Amino acid sequence: MKALKWTGGILLIIIAVALLVSSISAQSDLEGLLKRLDAQNVVDLNPKMLADRDRVLESHLDNDRDRTLRNLDRYLERHGDLLLLEGTHALELTAFRSGPIVSSVGVLLMAIGAALLATVISGKAAVRKAALYAVGIVLLYVCVYVVEQIAGTSSMLVTVLKKGAIYALLAVSMNLLNGFTGLFSLGQAGFMLIGAYTYAMFTIPVESRGQVYQYYAGGLIQFQMPVILAIILAGLVAAFFAYLIGLPVLRLKSDYLAIATLGFAEIIRAVFQYDGLGPITNGSNLLRRFTTFNSALFPFIAVGICILLIILLINSTYGRAFKAIRDDEVAAEAMGINLPQHKSMAFVISCFFAGVGGALLAMYQTTVQASAFKASMTYEILLIVVLGGMGSVSGSVIASFLFIAASEWWLRFLDAETVIGTFEVPLLRSGFRMVVFSVIVMLVVLFYQKGIMGDRELSLDMFKRNGKEKRGGRNA
Amino acid sequence: MPDHVLELKNLTMQFGGVVAVNDLSMNIDKGEIVALIGPNGAGKTTAFNCVTGVYAPTNGQVLFGGKVIVSNHPSGKMAKMYLGADKDKFHQVAAPSPDKITRMGIARTFQNIRLFKTQTVFDNVLIATHLHRTSNLFTAVLRLNSSEEKSMREKAMHLLDIVGLADAKDEKATSLPYGKQRRLEIARALATDPTLLLLDEPAAGMNPQETDDLSEFIVELRNRFDLTIFLIEHHMALVMDISDRIYVIDFGKLIASGLPQEVRDDPEVITAYLGVDED
Ligand SMILES: Nc1ncnc2c1ncn2[C@@H]1O[C@H](COP(=O)(O)OP(=O)(O)OP(=O)(O)O)[C@@H](O)[C@H]1O
Ligand SMILES: [Mg+2]
Repeated sequence: MKALKWTGGILLIIIAVALLVSSISAQSDLEGLLKRLDAQNVVDLNPKMLADRDRVLESHLDNDRDRTLRNLDRYLERHGDLLLLEGTHALELTAFRSGPIVSSVGVLLMAIGAALLATVISGKAAVRKAALYAVGIVLLYVCVYVVEQIAGTSSMLVTVLKKGAIYALLAVSMNLLNGFTGLFSLGQAGFMLIGAYTYAMFTIPVESRGQVYQYYAGGLIQFQMPVILAIILAGLVAAFFAYLIGLPVLRLKSDYLAIATLGFAEIIRAVFQYDGLGPITNGSNLLRRFTTFNSALFPFIAVGICILLIILLINSTYGRAFKAIRDDEVAAEAMGINLPQHKSMAFVISCFFAGVGGALLAMYQTTVQASAFKASMTYEILLIVVLGGMGSVSGSVIASFLFIAASEWWLRFLDAETVIGTFEVPLLRSGFRMVVFSVIVMLVVLFYQKGIMGDRELSLDMFKRNGKEKRGGRNA
Repeated sequence: MPDHVLELKNLTMQFGGVVAVNDLSMNIDKGEIVALIGPNGAGKTTAFNCVTGVYAPTNGQVLFGGKVIVSNHPSGKMAKMYLGADKDKFHQVAAPSPDKITRMGIARTFQNIRLFKTQTVFDNVLIATHLHRTSNLFTAVLRLNSSEEKSMREKAMHLLDIVGLADAKDEKATSLPYGKQRRLEIARALATDPTLLLLDEPAAGMNPQETDDLSEFIVELRNRFDLTIFLIEHHMALVMDISDRIYVIDFGKLIASGLPQEVRDDPEVITAYLGVDED
């Protein structure tokens, strides 16, 4: 068994490396491939062909795969009669076209191989479990990537995946506070706004600032930060405001936090639109031209890291203290847990991730405007948290994707006036979608009072434990 | 003579016009098991709450190991409303929050059981080891504290073993029968490493067998953990059995104190309890 795992693991890694190398080399040497197709070197004699080929290479350099493939098809179609498209060349072309899929299969095999080796080397149950989860996560990312390659970056499915991932982070960060610590905050939109603006303001290229801040002579900030730093800064600024609000409010016993944060979110929305701050916030005008993302992998990886950190927190001794506070403040305090300190910690961390989520949302939207961060945005996220289950990370994640898919995609047809033959379908018109959506949400809340997951988590143990309970019948 | 482990000086707690604890002075020495008894509503739990920082007393002091940890005197509106004695005796004001008092080494259980209801039996005890952590947020999240985490878990498991709940460790705390929930509360309190343990009616809701076991168990705990125990209990057999000394209060006021047999025969105590069912 052990030898089998060793050889299996090593074999998988070798195959993975081969796949990765072949697909990467096909990707990296598009120019060489095009030259090989053009064996008689006619391209230099044919300006039209040269222009078409350059277009392919240019889009390839831009890392815009959709465009590259389109340009490549056009190139082959227009000038195919002058090119050698048989034999190994055809294979090479296929390798280029399927490159992303081949390399993602490579990554997946690599992960499985590494996980196998990890389990033989350590042999601990915890390592085996971690390896399984790691493979699962890699599989998820590979799926996202493949879906994106097949469906296209701007397809509805991929749009839902992007927005769903960002909302997953926003919901989990809210759940950390409302669901896990039992503190009720209604300021999510305000902290997202701070994150979105911080990110946007610091990543607009200097040369674009003149146009973006056209009413404020290019604005005050005259530099551009790297994306990752700007995202972290977005979280930090949101966290700083949370700390300040928490100082007075979290010392009070009851639910002043909800009122204070709701008020804060409204005030901050007005402040960011205030003309006097225009050189920094661009007043009530849009912020645009900041760095955004193309692929859904970016939000998936960023959100994945954040949620992983939150899960690690929840299962740490601090997370246990948060849950103790939620369950019984008096008992938690009697067990030596410093209430203001831990409440502030939970609040600040939750708002840090709300800020990061705001930054990601800005990237997704490509523009930011303070007036969009209304309280209804907070309620939307609160609804996702409730639907998914207070105190369940996986519930929040699942509910986010379902919520975004339903509201942005599956129910779209309800907004379109539809005529079948001569029959005009009643009720279908702009706005009906929201009516149906609200009814569905109400039904779900009525029938699943504790949300989809309650306070349980989706995990490998869940299936095992379910089995055990059925057999033992202890908790029945 | 060494300092008392716990000393109350003229402790008074007034809620509006009700004086729940009235000029209560008492002391407990190291290793003693001392009981506080009295009819319903006598102010026993309120006295506990003053010691553990849940309430700041209206007047008086609490000393722990000879050091003043809680101190107050009537001030502001209360200065006019105050119905108790020794109004001008104390000048110091100290009202640490309950978590600070727990960290000093005073742990407690609750009369109306207060377990962390969504957590397992094991996690209930584990949470109470949090106060002695050396990890900070970052080391805890990044799992750089695995040795500490391991020792926390071992300690929680060890305590569950001692109170006899090791088998139930993965069950939800609130799914346990009453008697076991009380034992779990004791395990949880012990996890904070106390030197003084306050038990508020630990036998309430227990059947006679469990109550018998409990008296032995409390004595065993005292010996094993080198504890001093301060106990509120209505169950007279248990109190008489294990207490070194007893304080009796009625309407917040101390009416008798001394060895169990002295207190039992005290006429004032008998009057206070007349018509009150002992069990
Ligand atoms: N927070 C409070 N506000 C107002 N009155 C209170 C408060 N806490 C206790 N009291 C009053 O103080 C008195 C003493 O209550 P306490 O709970 O200390 O009694 P006890 O001796 O523990 O009684 P029992 O044996 O029933 O537990 C009661 O009259 C009660 O109503
Ligand atoms: Mg009481």
